[in-house]
Amino acid sequence: MKYLLRHTTRYDYSSAVTLSHNEARLLPRVLPWQEICNTQLEISPSPIRLRERADFFGNRVCYFSLQELHSSLEVTAESEITTSARPLPSQEQDMPWEMASAQTREGLQLDQDGLAARLMLLDSDFIQHHPLLAEFALESFQPGRSLVESIHCLNQRIFNEFTYDPEHTTIATPILDVLASRRGVCQDFAHLSIGCLRSLGLAARYVSGYMETLPPPGQPKLQGADATHAWLAVYLPNWGWLEIDPTNGCLPDERYIILGWGRDFADVTPLKGVMNGGGNDLLSVAVDVTPLPLPKAPTVNTLTQSQSQSQTL
Amino acid sequence: MYFVDPALLTPSWGCEQQSSVNTMFDPNLLSTDMQQWLLNYTEKLRAHSAQPSHDELFGKDLRLRAQWQPVLEELSQLGPDALQLRCDEAQNLLHENGVTFNTYEDDPGQMRAWQLDCLPFVISTEEWENLEKGLIQRSRLLEALVEDLYDQRQVLTQGLLPAELVFTHPSFLFPAADSTPPAERPMVIFHGIDLVRTAKGDWQVMGDWTQSPSGTGYALENRITLARALPNLYREAPLKRLAGFLQAQHRCLASLASAHREQPNIVLLSPGPGSPGYFEHAWLANYMNFSLVEGADLVVRDGQVSMRTLGGLKQVDVIVRQINDPWCDPLELRGDSLLGVPGLMQAARNGEVEIANALGSGILEHPALAAFLPQLCEFLLGETLQLPGRATLWCGKTEALETLRSQPDAWILRNVRQPGLVRPETLSDQEAQDYWQAVEAQPYLYVAQARVEAATTPVFNRRTGEFDAETVNLRFFSLVEPDDLRKAAHERQYRIMPGGLAWVGEPGTALMASQIVKDIWVMAPVPQPHISLLRQAHGPIVVTRDGNDLPCRVADSLFWMGRYGERLDIRSRLLRETFARLLQEDQTETEARLIPDLFTALELGLPSAEQMEQVHTEPSGRRHKQEYILLRNQLLELFDEHQTDGMPWLFSHFLRNCRAVRDHLGDDAWRTVNTLRQIFNDMPRTQGAVGAQRHLENVVTDLAAFFGLCNETMPHHYGWRFLDLGRFIERTLCTLELLKLALLTAQRPGIPLWEVVLATTDNFTVYRRRYRSQLHPLAILDLLLFDETNPRSVGYMLKRLGRQIERLPHPDATPYRNQETRLVIQATSALHLVDINQLTDLERSEEARNALSQLIDQILDPLSELSNAISHSHFSHVEAPRQLVTMQNHV
Repeated sequence: MKYLLRHTTRYDYSSAVTLSHNEARLLPRVLPWQEICNTQLEISPSPIRLRERADFFGNRVCYFSLQELHSSLEVTAESEITTSARPLPSQEQDMPWEMASAQTREGLQLDQDGLAARLMLLDSDFIQHHPLLAEFALESFQPGRSLVESIHCLNQRIFNEFTYDPEHTTIATPILDVLASRRGVCQDFAHLSIGCLRSLGLAARYVSGYMETLPPPGQPKLQGADATHAWLAVYLPNWGWLEIDPTNGCLPDERYIILGWGRDFADVTPLKGVMNGGGNDLLSVAVDVTPLPLPKAPTVNTLTQSQSQSQTL
Repeated sequence: MYFVDPALLTPSWGCEQQSSVNTMFDPNLLSTDMQQWLLNYTEKLRAHSAQPSHDELFGKDLRLRAQWQPVLEELSQLGPDALQLRCDEAQNLLHENGVTFNTYEDDPGQMRAWQLDCLPFVISTEEWENLEKGLIQRSRLLEALVEDLYDQRQVLTQGLLPAELVFTHPSFLFPAADSTPPAERPMVIFHGIDLVRTAKGDWQVMGDWTQSPSGTGYALENRITLARALPNLYREAPLKRLAGFLQAQHRCLASLASAHREQPNIVLLSPGPGSPGYFEHAWLANYMNFSLVEGADLVVRDGQVSMRTLGGLKQVDVIVRQINDPWCDPLELRGDSLLGVPGLMQAARNGEVEIANALGSGILEHPALAAFLPQLCEFLLGETLQLPGRATLWCGKTEALETLRSQPDAWILRNVRQPGLVRPETLSDQEAQDYWQAVEAQPYLYVAQARVEAATTPVFNRRTGEFDAETVNLRFFSLVEPDDLRKAAHERQYRIMPGGLAWVGEPGTALMASQIVKDIWVMAPVPQPHISLLRQAHGPIVVTRDGNDLPCRVADSLFWMGRYGERLDIRSRLLRETFARLLQEDQTETEARLIPDLFTALELGLPSAEQMEQVHTEPSGRRHKQEYILLRNQLLELFDEHQTDGMPWLFSHFLRNCRAVRDHLGDDAWRTVNTLRQIFNDMPRTQGAVGAQRHLENVVTDLAAFFGLCNETMPHHYGWRFLDLGRFIERTLCTLELLKLALLTAQRPGIPLWEVVLATTDNFTVYRRRYRSQLHPLAILDLLLFDETNPRSVGYMLKRLGRQIERLPHPDATPYRNQETRLVIQATSALHLVDINQLTDLERSEEARNALSQLIDQILDPLSELSNAISHSHFSHVEAPRQLVTMQNHV
């Protein structure tokens, strides 16, 4: 599939900001099944410094600083993304989940994926392992059951048994609360699933990104109606990372665009900053995932905002 | 047994023969006192441990170790009484210089300086050569390790070090482990290594300090102090000198920024006066001539790190950081840090600033590394580890956890994310259960360290005048050779400071937790040239680094130091006078008493009506006594530490500001601050009026000495001007308030009260000399308000304020007068324009009183505003930076 992705974040401050340092993780990663082109990052007011690098997890992160007096900040990331089908593990690559757990933990000679998996076994700020999580997960992870089957089962159970409720949660809903209330949003379900898997000794990482949404039948799609999305990926020893989306009870496919991944939400915060001044930040976010006809894409210049300076990375 | 029966001792003193220097060390040449000390010491050694155990002074068969010869001979010549005196002298020197290291220094009740043992820890030339090799190897090894951990991470992928160990440590900075190519300089520029000598006599490493190893300043201060207390010993002994090491350190830091410019701006970034190591931060900044800054003094603009100074931003090239890794940058690291500088990591990543040691190097302080270093040394250096570490278990390994469980009491436990140690045997059953549960849940966070039996070393006990056998911890320091900074890792040389810091305590005791410290002496084969260590350290009394590049925070602190100091002075005088009147007053003439007015001046409430009522029910003989006690106790409340605007409260604010500018105060000025601290320490609440009076006298004279020294020794530059402004704003305000009270609002105006006002403002003598006759309000007004030749008059003070403000830097040059100048002009004109004739008959004329009241208010109002105006124009108003709120909607 081919998409035009446009993600605008806007902060309005009640009083002026004199200086701010920021980090944006808003540019999608380049992956074997995800091609990125014509990436633009527009920042208004225009930044003094803008530097891109890859962070520890390989995510693209842009540092920028603003020095002119400003009372609003608007960051728009825009890319054309071509996705193809993700690889899936074959039956031979699957194994009983206990074996996967043991291999993840005890492997001595590690490749980079294996090393990353060791990190994704550990507790992080938002996700701590717990016997209740293990107990919940063990219903899906029966002794000797195949890892892939067990993962699918857990994915389905969270989709079936939990209610999607945007009113219910805050940014840092503790996962045990999510487990108890059986309610939450994608981020909570991703955190909960990761907590369940790590409690069983399996490595799982948080994935942030977008998915194409379809308007109700017969209605046109509204501008800015899409949103960021979160799911997770589980480590299969000797194979790699298998993504699941417990919010929708499916495996992410070509309609999913990956922005980045980390131990939990905190590692992939789309935009963070430290500033002098400001206050009562008012945040608005608009995301558009617009399908583009394959193979030829329209030119991008129609989409550039007039006021802001655009920076190509 | 090592020890011979004491009866056999005298004829058979032994001594180790040094291979290179063929001098026998014959204890019989020592004084009989010294021989007796040594004899008693051997008895203590025997009592110390039943097992034969290494001692620093006595070798096998009770032979004195040869390296001690010069020390013992010198002390032997001094004799016991002189030695005692010298030790006391050393103690006084340390105390006067304010060598302290405790966290709660601002609290006068908690003040504590350490004791410096006059016996050094002596290491022989041969032994040092070996030790030095081991220490250098350790520095090379740790550098190789940290470079790998932040780049290739081969030690993890090759299974030499468990990933969980590294990834869970708070100082493994993920933002430092990104795609940025590694810098060409070593991450660890200086490295502190803690050692003990075990009971068997081997060296054992107890830990590493790789972020900001503390102690070099203390080590140098100890050396200077000891050299002053025992000058002969220091001059004659063939010991290696320390000064060269700090010079090399300076060179090293300067060449870090050689790419930037020739005279790089090096700053020392401290968490501030509240941190336990602040004395040393100030000391080092002073000695090395760095600016002492706090996080809020620095800002990242245009990608560069700059220091906020009076003259604007000044670029910083090198930061010697004394802040731990996670707190250095609230953008990329801990967002709740108020100590760090937002954007610092990015500036370092871009090479715009060099940080020593590099951010992230704290991972090397992980205590569990000890268990893996032998293999890592083989892998990274291809060498065998020379200095063994302490036996250590990393609980993330199942076998290690089993070992620990089978014999928990043999180990001391720690969680790498929390401070403090846990000794399993001290836990209650419930605590133990909880603790083991926590270990079980996250075993990779826990480390068990073996208990270490340490060797003994002699410590001179000042109380008993004998040598005690104690165990000590030692810290050594290594440094990359300044010329090797840009060389490839395998070509880099390191140098070790030939000395260090030793402190008395069980093996593993924290430096800050110890009471007694020792200097470490490394003996050289021949006497060493004397490097001008003393001259450098005790050079000009006040640092001349001043002028435009004065950090705004320093100007701010100097200003408030002036205001609090002056307020303390005026209130001390007023309180002193009040005590004096209380003692003098004719206790029968209750009606004529000044006390109510003086209480008003001190903003104190009088005893309640009920209390007075009760007093009046007493028989008349006791009534006055009771009333006196009631009033006195009310006054003594001002000595209560918790009383806002009380004496200790004012002093602690004064002291806090003094400490924040420690590197701008001369040693002599600082000595008076320490004397003041002592006065406030000895100022218990329950003292009588006479004692209180004496304390206040001392406060007044010491404050005068302090400000006098500041005036005499501080360059009359911007820093001094801010101090002066603070003092004179406060003095003017207080004088005006007093005048208002004495001439307008007092219940009992008149000569006695006017006398108090003259005494409090230090004008009494002048007045008497000038007028001799009876006190008259108009004469007082002239002296205190109008006479510009009298330094205590408002007129003089306004003139002085105006002159100081005129000479402050004005970065935004405009042709118009700024607010500070306008305020001073406003106050001065009110004074100049007043019609004196209106004020002549204050005692009888309501009109005159109104005119004076109006005049005083016309001066008070602009002056009260002046403080804010100065603060607004010159001091940094950095609010704590805020984090962007990151709530987002999700699918």
